Amino acid sequence: MSFIEVRNLCKEYRIVQTEKGISGAVKSLFHRQYTVKQAVNDVSFSLEKGEVVGYIGPNGAGKSTTMKMLSGVLIPTSGSVEVGGLVPYRQRRENARHIGVVFGQRSQLYWDLPISDTFDLYESLYDIPKEKFRKNCAFYTELLEMGDFIGQPVRQLSLGQKMKANIAIALLHDPDVLYLDEPTIGLDVTSKKVLRDAIRSINEEKKTTIMLTTHDMEDIEAVCQRLIMIDHGKKLFDGTLRDFRAKYNDGFSIKLEFDTVPPAWQEDGRYSLAEQSEQQWIIRAPEGVSAKDAMIELIGLYHPINLYVQEERIEDIVRSAYAVHNREE
Amino acid sequence: MKKYLITFSKSLKAELSYRSAMLAGIASALLGFVIQLFLWQALLATGIRQDTSFSDMVLYILINSFMLELTRSNVATTIETAMIDGTVSMELLRPMSYKYYLLASIFGKNFYSALTRTVPILIVGLFFLSPNSCPSPVYMGLFGISALLGVLLLFEVTYVVGLLAFWIQRCWFLSWYLRGFQTFFGGTAVPLWFYPDALNTVGYFLPFRYMTFEPVNFFLQKTPLSQAAVPLFAAALWLVGLSLLDRLMWRAAMNRLAINGG
Repeated sequence: MSFIEVRNLCKEYRIVQTEKGISGAVKSLFHRQYTVKQAVNDVSFSLEKGEVVGYIGPNGAGKSTTMKMLSGVLIPTSGSVEVGGLVPYRQRRENARHIGVVFGQRSQLYWDLPISDTFDLYESLYDIPKEKFRKNCAFYTELLEMGDFIGQPVRQLSLGQKMKANIAIALLHDPDVLYLDEPTIGLDVTSKKVLRDAIRSINEEKKTTIMLTTHDMEDIEAVCQRLIMIDHGKKLFDGTLRDFRAKYNDGFSIKLEFDTVPPAWQEDGRYSLAEQSEQQWIIRAPEGVSAKDAMIELIGLYHPINLYVQEERIEDIVRSAYAVHNREE
Repeated sequence: MKKYLITFSKSLKAELSYRSAMLAGIASALLGFVIQLFLWQALLATGIRQDTSFSDMVLYILINSFMLELTRSNVATTIETAMIDGTVSMELLRPMSYKYYLLASIFGKNFYSALTRTVPILIVGLFFLSPNSCPSPVYMGLFGISALLGVLLLFEVTYVVGLLAFWIQRCWFLSWYLRGFQTFFGGTAVPLWFYPDALNTVGYFLPFRYMTFEPVNFFLQKTPLSQAAVPLFAAALWLVGLSLLDRLMWRAAMNRLAINGG
């Protein structure tokens, strides 16, 4: 049995339908019409201890709802969840002692008090032994580079600083699982890097199982070994990053640089010109053509001064994967 | 228990960070006190009631203000806000009971306002009191118990109303009615002993008079010792009944909780 077992998980929401305009709003006061939305629809997966899994999908796909059922906040409409032998929504408080959660769009900090006060609160909330608390405080303060602002009231902190603090408090009690829901949302590149490095080292040093949702595919590439993709509440893919590339990636791109104005583009139905600027082209190569053959052919045709082969970015692959599934629907 | 104590102390500490809000609170408390003093001085001067002295009224206003401050912030608004903006999901992530977490944090806030706003009016009030105003140790003890029950009772009532937010989303109007009932049936503006008998009797069957009025009555030694058990027992009964009700409501509320958008 795996550490986290999710079986045929479903969550339905009732949504009030209001017609347009004031008259619609008035009408809905007397007669309500509801539609049922399947936020999560028959999702199953299992996670082993120590795994880092990226849980991705477009906005409204059902990612946060799944996370909330895993952490015990929401009760599933049907299906089952088990985390470390506990049923989160039935044993909410016991489950809470073993997990750490960060919802990137919400904060767990006391707005008017310094971070250190929230740390104290969490020390007694989770009955963290003194020695462990002291060690973890020092560890995360250094890992997340929080030394400069740990004494400032939270309302005076930047978004990135608050996010770091939220991650730290989710980890003070050494949870078995860490759920991160868009932890890098709105952060600058430096903070993102600090967070990604931290997530990786937490997984390596503490063997924490981590489930991460994000819209930034660089997060996934930096920390995840495995990827689960959902859309419209349904699971579409579950496997390694390499399998994901193999399934949805249909080629690679080649960047050509020219020292003068580039020659005319010759459409041949195989290569396509993805981007074009004054002295630079980005060309998509078709599936089945080796990089070597493509390079030889393109050099012969266009005589560029420089040539780079680029693996397709995961972001572009995800975009085409969403598109593929939308077409299928 | 320790986690609820620390929730209480952090919430108290958070209140301390706003100095101007504190000064404004003290000023408004003093002003309210002085207005009530003059009002009652004028009313008593008409000579309608011979059994109530001005010193009694000063004491009533003082203790009543203290009790009102202890029940100032109400948990219904907190639950409503948490439901609307979804912060309830963050609170449910903590390994503690939501109800007692709310109790601890609300009490932290209210304790702070009771301290900062009652002490100044107490100092002013002392000039108007007769020397034998302080109750006997027995009555003091009864006041303590009754005040504790009162604070808990108000919490219970507002908590039940707050839980309704899980069904109707907005419950501020219910809080508003509740405040009205508390003022009217709980005698927080005009003491119930000035009420016509019928109205006074209705009050016994509602929870409101046990919140602030009965504790004040004990402090003023107006409740005979032989009848002291009645208000205490009634308050306890309401508490038990309401906590059974809130347990059922909580279970139902969790089943229909939906938190959208991150």
